[in-house]
Amino acid sequence: MTKTIDGRGLEPPKPFELTMEALADLKPGEQMTLLLDRMPWPLFRILDRDGYRHSNQVRDDGVVEIRILAP
Amino acid sequence: MSAHANALSYDAAPAFSTPLRFFLTAPLFGVAAGLLLLIAPELLASRWTPGALALTHLIAVGFVLSIMVGALFQIMPVVAGAAVPRSGPLAALIHAGLTAGVASLCIGLGVGAPDFLVAAAALLGISFALFLCAAAWGLWRAPIAQATPRDLRLAVAGLGVALMLGLTLAMVLARGLPVPLVTVLKLHIGWAWLGGVGMMLAATSWVVVPMFQITPNYPARLTRSWALATFAMLALWSGAVAAEWSGAALLFGALLVALAVVFAAATLRLQQHSRRSNPDSTTRAFQLGMTSLLAGVACTVAAHYSEHEAWPILAGILVLHGGFVSVIQGMLYKIVPFLAWLHLTQEGIRAPNVKKLLPDTPARRQLLVHAAALAALVAAAASGSADLGRLAGVLVGLEFGWLLANLVRVVRAYRGALPA
Repeated sequence: MTKTIDGRGLEPPKPFELTMEALADLKPGEQMTLLLDRMPWPLFRILDRDGYRHSNQVRDDGVVEIRILAP
Repeated sequence: MSAHANALSYDAAPAFSTPLRFFLTAPLFGVAAGLLLLIAPELLASRWTPGALALTHLIAVGFVLSIMVGALFQIMPVVAGAAVPRSGPLAALIHAGLTAGVASLCIGLGVGAPDFLVAAAALLGISFALFLCAAAWGLWRAPIAQATPRDLRLAVAGLGVALMLGLTLAMVLARGLPVPLVTVLKLHIGWAWLGGVGMMLAATSWVVVPMFQITPNYPARLTRSWALATFAMLALWSGAVAAEWSGAALLFGALLVALAVVFAAATLRLQQHSRRSNPDSTTRAFQLGMTSLLAGVACTVAAHYSEHEAWPILAGILVLHGGFVSVIQGMLYKIVPFLAWLHLTQEGIRAPNVKKLLPDTPARRQLLVHAAALAALVAAAASGSADLGRLAGVLVGLEFGWLLANLVRVVRAYRGALPA
């Protein structure tokens, strides 16, 4: 099952902190989904550096959905 | 639904020192403004005295603009995914030119030294030309579909216009350049207030207010059209002022006032819908800022109908110190701890909680001094009392000194978390 972190309505850097904690628990090949109010550009830098694959999309309701795949 | 790959360059985020160098020197200009007012409290009596011009520019350029330039280096990569290449050395160069330029400008204006004004024009002109190139590079690569990058571009263009007009004024004062002084002065103030700082404030507020104050988003039609309408209206107003069409200038001026009121009122309304149970220092600072902006706009209107010299001075104090300085101080209390946390996290270091990096209490106390300084400035300008002017000088010096101490506290906590 894909883990989902809902960071909407939380003050920065709380969504970032929740994501970092969830990434630490993610096993190789596992996926997780992030739901956010805006595009998390600084997070992408960390994901790239650490070899995570990720994609993003802005839903019709404005919610930013990020899918992360552990290396 | 839209999806996009990670095509933007978000991997060149600037070092913490890039914005920090601006944030740590800017309050020193505020301290200098406080000292100047303490020595010469009569400066609040007239807006056109050399000392009053120096005082205004210590705050407007030394504090407000320095912070905005430093923040833009960081805002672009965080909210727009667009970074400036080699931002560290570039920021150091711009910071040196800007700092020396402001000092030179204030000496030139304060003691009426033409050579200092020419030096200031050269230093500020070169620094801002570099900054405009850097900002254009970063913002050109940002996605235009988002309101913030688009409005930041307009704000940078507006700042450029304000700067060109300011440089022209410096050359009028220093070398007697034959241009209509009053017209250029009016345009300089209009573009600096709304075209540069106001637009930058709005563009960052679209993101920062909902993000840090946990409010709903600004209405889409406002973020879509406010900056474009303001920029277009400024252009129309400038044409009318330059052509001396007083009726048209008054009409466009009134519409600009209405746009400023719409932005401030929309921000106050959003804050009423914050999901935060207790407003924190930043929320309070924004409330003070927006209320002061509205009061400043009211004084601007009063200045149009009354000959009393106090109205335009009160408008200047309320917009600059009450509006822009309040909001910037409030934003710094969110941005600096957040950046410290972000840089530690990006380095793979377990960062302390942002509330530990800067608790709310020292921020709240400093902002109370800021509010007291604003009240003293307003009372001194309204009454013409030298004693109140001196009190305002002490409070202004204290608020900026305390702001610096609070920011240094974050930097020390950041350094303390770094591995030895």
